[in-house]
Amino acid sequence: MGLCGLEIPTDSSVIVGMDRPDDAGVYKISDDLAIIQTVDFFTPIVDDPYWFGQIAAANALSDVYAMGGVPKTAMNLVAFPLKQMDMSVLRQILQGGLDKMKEAGVVLLGGHSVEDNELKYGLSVTGFIHPDRVLTKKDLKVGDRLILTKPLGTGIINTAIKGGLASAEIIETVTHLMAALNRDAAKVMHDYPVHACTDITGFGLLGHLAEMVMDSEFGVEIQANRVPLLPEALEYAAMGLVPAGLYKNREFRQAMVDISPSVDTFIQDILFDPQTSGGLLICVARESADDLVDRLKEKGMDKTAIIGEVLSEPKGRIVVT
Amino acid sequence: METLNCRGLACPQPVLRTKHFVESNPQAPKFTVVVDNAASAQNVVRFLESRGFSASLHQEGTDFEIKAVKSDESRGEAPGKEEAKSSEKMLVLVTKSTMGSGDDVLGEGLMFNFLNTLDEMGEVLWRLVFLNSGVKLTIEGARTLPAIQQLEAQGVSVLVCGTCLTHFNLLEQKRVGETTNMLDIVTSLQLADKVISV
Repeated sequence: MGLCGLEIPTDSSVIVGMDRPDDAGVYKISDDLAIIQTVDFFTPIVDDPYWFGQIAAANALSDVYAMGGVPKTAMNLVAFPLKQMDMSVLRQILQGGLDKMKEAGVVLLGGHSVEDNELKYGLSVTGFIHPDRVLTKKDLKVGDRLILTKPLGTGIINTAIKGGLASAEIIETVTHLMAALNRDAAKVMHDYPVHACTDITGFGLLGHLAEMVMDSEFGVEIQANRVPLLPEALEYAAMGLVPAGLYKNREFRQAMVDISPSVDTFIQDILFDPQTSGGLLICVARESADDLVDRLKEKGMDKTAIIGEVLSEPKGRIVVT
Repeated sequence: METLNCRGLACPQPVLRTKHFVESNPQAPKFTVVVDNAASAQNVVRFLESRGFSASLHQEGTDFEIKAVKSDESRGEAPGKEEAKSSEKMLVLVTKSTMGSGDDVLGEGLMFNFLNTLDEMGEVLWRLVFLNSGVKLTIEGARTLPAIQQLEAQGVSVLVCGTCLTHFNLLEQKRVGETTNMLDIVTSLQLADKVISV
């Protein structure tokens, strides 16, 4: 990482800063208010500019939800190839982003654009939270259940889309899935004894879990057959339509993971598949887990499932059975 | 032997080039694909295997060479994943919730171990059929459930006797497999190359 070894300015109001990996930064304003700040932007993953705008916005907003907060304001970040592309494309992207912001109850305060050979879009987002209710990746408790709110496999399917091999149906499914806000999931979990939360993005499920258990007093066990996934992803994985990021994720974290050989190779892949605007991974007290899953399903997150639990051993490791 | 140069290409391009090559040269028994990154190399190997080729991978400096040879049994049409499986079909008929007779506590443990080890049969394992008290192994809370779900996720077909579930009043609690009737069970026994009854 580029910042490694550099001195990071900080002060006593920083609740979540650069010292450990988390979804967003949190800064205390007063005893009952802290702000959450996050930024994310990327190159197009679907061909339709309007949907790309929605997905990029949903993805950027997600980090605020993953901290347990409510997003309030946003700024646009745009890199656009003015010479090669028509302005109408940019307008559709921005319209997609604005529609997502409206849905999330977020106001747009400004933004910045540069001319670039490669199109990129995203948001910088600020959210509010009570300083005592910040959900980091760290406060797991033994016996907690892990709940995932969206199925995995978008990285593999996006690779198939890039290769022109994905069907129209699956493109639509995955586009809507990536554009879906994590707002309702965040709202529902607010009423439950949730101890930690993150959203599943580029490092894949096991990559983000690794950040949760790394250097901690806990391990986690994941039951592979309970993890919700897009069945088409298995098919494309078998055909070799696997994004390079997946192999990188596995290489980076496999030393922390014990996967039982009985877990299907392609399911193992999907557990490392980089997700775009993935679901929330919620760590909740055992006795509330079933009820929380039911509530999330009622809210339309119908693939939500309990996928594993927090253990006292093996510390700092992930066991997949 | 033809060589397909995919140097400088990122995923999924090498797989797409290989796919195009295989489809436009259906008679080519042997060819080589060259890529310059590990992810593409693994993906090309996978793709070739899914199309019935055996693929061997060698690294030469910064290049990865994949030698593809058409497997004998799959000459001609490219088979899908299903057809690539061994043709022998093994059916395991589970007629009770415990294994063996003598002690039911022991029998229950043995059944748990049996179902968790069944995976070792490999790809010949085609179908599991649960009958009589065997259906209790497939319900919510059963210790054996994860193993059966795992087998199902790997492509093993699982049939559970509907009459038996109804008899034990467990229809709602079944969590794996397809609820089935005697006609399906009889047909399955006939289709299988080998039946193992436990």
